[in-house]
Amino acid sequence: MNDISSQIPAEAAGTRQPERRFGEPLLTVENISLSFGGLQALTDISFDILEQEIRAIIGPNGAGKTSMLNVINGFYHPQKGTITYKGNIRRTMRPHMAAAQGIARTFQNVALFKGMSTLDNIMTGRLLKMHNLRAPETGVFGLDQVLRWGAGALDFVTQCLYWGPNEKEETRQRAYCEEIVDFLEIQAIRKTPVGRLPYGLQKRVELARALAMEPELLLLDEPMAGMNVEEKEDMSRFILDVNEEFGTTVALIEHDMGVVMDISDRVVVLDYGRKLADGRPDEVRSDRGVIDAYLGVAH
Amino acid sequence: MGDANGLDTFPKLMRHNAKVRGARPAMREKDLGIWQTWTWSQAQDEVKAFAMGLAALGVKRGDKVLIVGDNRPRLYWTVTAAQVIGAVPVPLYQDSVAREMAYVVEHASAAIAVVEDQEQVDKLLEIREEVPALQTIVYQDPRGLRNYTQDCLHDYAKVLESGRRALSEEPAGYDREVDRGRGNNDSIVLYTSGTTGKPKGVVLTFDNVISMARAGSEFEKLTEGEEVLAYLPMAWIGDHVFSFSQSYVTGFCVSCPENGSTVLHDLHELGPTYFFAPPRIFENLLTSVMIRMQDASHFKQKWFHYFLDVAKQVGEKILNGEKVSTADRIKYRLGTFFVYGPLKNVLGLTRCRLAYTAGEAIGPEIFQFYRSLGVNMKQLYGSTEASVFITVQPNGEIRADTVGRAIPGVELKLADNGEVMFRSPGVFKEYFKNPEATAETKTPDGWVRTGDAGMITPEGHLRIIDRAKDVGKLNDGSLFAPKFVENKLKFYPNIREAVTFGNGKDYVAAFVCIDQEAMGSWAERNNVAYASYQELAAHPRVRKIVEGHIREVNADLTKDPQLAALQIRRFLILHKDLDADDGELTRTRKVRRRTIAERYEPLIAALYNGSKIGHIETKVTFEDGREGVLAADLAIADLGGGTPAKQAA
Repeated sequence: MNDISSQIPAEAAGTRQPERRFGEPLLTVENISLSFGGLQALTDISFDILEQEIRAIIGPNGAGKTSMLNVINGFYHPQKGTITYKGNIRRTMRPHMAAAQGIARTFQNVALFKGMSTLDNIMTGRLLKMHNLRAPETGVFGLDQVLRWGAGALDFVTQCLYWGPNEKEETRQRAYCEEIVDFLEIQAIRKTPVGRLPYGLQKRVELARALAMEPELLLLDEPMAGMNVEEKEDMSRFILDVNEEFGTTVALIEHDMGVVMDISDRVVVLDYGRKLADGRPDEVRSDRGVIDAYLGVAH
Repeated sequence: MGDANGLDTFPKLMRHNAKVRGARPAMREKDLGIWQTWTWSQAQDEVKAFAMGLAALGVKRGDKVLIVGDNRPRLYWTVTAAQVIGAVPVPLYQDSVAREMAYVVEHASAAIAVVEDQEQVDKLLEIREEVPALQTIVYQDPRGLRNYTQDCLHDYAKVLESGRRALSEEPAGYDREVDRGRGNNDSIVLYTSGTTGKPKGVVLTFDNVISMARAGSEFEKLTEGEEVLAYLPMAWIGDHVFSFSQSYVTGFCVSCPENGSTVLHDLHELGPTYFFAPPRIFENLLTSVMIRMQDASHFKQKWFHYFLDVAKQVGEKILNGEKVSTADRIKYRLGTFFVYGPLKNVLGLTRCRLAYTAGEAIGPEIFQFYRSLGVNMKQLYGSTEASVFITVQPNGEIRADTVGRAIPGVELKLADNGEVMFRSPGVFKEYFKNPEATAETKTPDGWVRTGDAGMITPEGHLRIIDRAKDVGKLNDGSLFAPKFVENKLKFYPNIREAVTFGNGKDYVAAFVCIDQEAMGSWAERNNVAYASYQELAAHPRVRKIVEGHIREVNADLTKDPQLAALQIRRFLILHKDLDADDGELTRTRKVRRRTIAERYEPLIAALYNGSKIGHIETKVTFEDGREGVLAADLAIADLGGGTPAKQAA
């Protein structure tokens, strides 16, 4: 592990500006506590994610990292604490609402449609961006409903036939997907069913699908798990590029300390559901508690 | 073709093409999944502006302009743009690591580089301190470069814009610059990958390149209707002639693939009519087809192999225009409908009317396979120093074991030691800043030593045996031609690379590198588990297979009394693939014998001292430039004493 942490920075450091200017907090979690029955997964966690930063959440196994991501994503509902996203305090939340609000994520175990091609998988990420036919507003009672149904049916038919406004729509969405394909350099596998791809590439396709949503906040759950050094470098490069080119805020969970210390702007450390430390990578690295709990332990 | 019109430089040819076929496609590139096309006149507009932009950056006549990147239309246009203002383009191999690049950048003493993207910018910035002469870097793809603050970096689009401004101020400037060019000016410097020592910069004049591009085009009757896919490194003379010079001379369209990994898809979509590939690529294509056929249903396999047998019997005869019975013709027609046609379509060779292969010897089976399908594949012999063409196989005179006749304009002779020598209008001017090497290679009366040992067959065809300096002698005095044996081994799909030893030794011994794709597929079908290349290579059953191949080669060698001594007595399978990053191969995948002899000295010793196992620790360079050490104990197989030569069979 020392190898990696000492090797990668040299390359990454040259391209990053020493002082980056971040925006306002995009997401703030305050005093979050989450338990499953008697198991306390998260205890009193507070931190924030600033616009345009790369924020890492690290910690040993079972520290509550994925739970934290699921809380942000709206999949888990904490018993205590508040989540503020883009200045609004979040009340009830479902994952699909997170998607509509501009939060995209990838999963620790790749969750793609294995039988579909790379491009089709990425296109699914565009679903929320597609414009459907809208029924005109009417004041007449009942007619509203009928028109909406009618528009829906027409929409369905034109989509099936790939015709009219839906053809244009599809072309527009496809063009955006092609930008991402180009960005992540996956042209060669555009039409390959995802199930046939090696793991490292599947991870990249998953990132592509998340990017297709044009997210403001991108949650990455162990984007580099199970990759070799070269694949990790590629992935690090892509995460940095996404952050730079699109200005996307990234929150990531990662076990590879070298990668975390290199690419993230700030790191929050969890252990047994509690926050141990929070700060810039070099601060966290020298924090006694963190060293004891995590970095100092041979693994 | 207009030789008489004073079209003696590429900028003049471009102007000519823009005039006579301005609306015809000149270049294509697949961008964001869609093929984009530029006509000759659009291409000229871009060249005009970029040439003026380069001038505005301070590039003067005689300056060198480095070009680094994949095959991109804009990089090809940079070649012409540099030539417009009298500068000399120097394309570099885009996958060279920074350290390798430093030498060429320094040697060429170039002040400006035009590169494709961030990857190349990073490499040049890394070596910038070593080569202070390099002042300006122009990049084409701004992605990832937003936060680079170095003053030396310029965006291609900005340079283009400044060129357009200069053009609008002085519209005649372009024509004036083009007219100043002369046929005997330097047109390009190509650094040879260098099988030995440092790369040498081959200086070619416009006359060299254009005369040979014309000769080649006329020999094969190329027209402006050809389609060509440009996918081989721009720094290689073959690409410069096939995808650049011949396009300018005949006006055909050149297409650039989306990126290096999509070449096969793009080939399939484009269906080029004129195609060049080193034997390795034809081998890979064939291997991938055969591997996929093994997964096909029983019926399909039968069908496939039945028609392939038909093709093997009559396909080549039909292609050569020989007499074939009507029944066979009908069978071949059916085969074309059911198998050959779809297969050629998958391979992207449907429209291919001329396929060249060169660089290495091609396996006779592979060569015959493509020809039997109806692909007019030919072998060609050439070099950078000759502006490619020395010999080509004429239609109807095609054999797997020769490289054809000298093409019109080329004279050929053999030196006393068997070395092939040639003289032609394409003979290079000099090695850049290296008069000793120039004098060594080029005689005062214009003959060039190729360094290849060859013989001329009774029909007047040239046959290449080996590198002249590699041909040696075994201790019993018999001739040792390593490449001859290695090529025989490499014709087996399971063997990717082989290196033989024997000069000054008692017997021939070999290193073998397995082909991971072919062997991996075999392992999968035979339930052989392995975790890495190293493990697969060390597997006893893999060794058995390789041993079988070597025994076959040995049996083949005994048939010829002169070659019987070349039988391999002992061999081992290397734990890693030979790699250009480790300096074991050149960028064009030619074996560097001296490097290998040094790196693997303990293994070579083990091959000759009778030990059962050789221990080796090798430094390897990973793709990111870092280095590590691989250690391995390799089993050595002994095939016993050689069988004496059979009397001519």
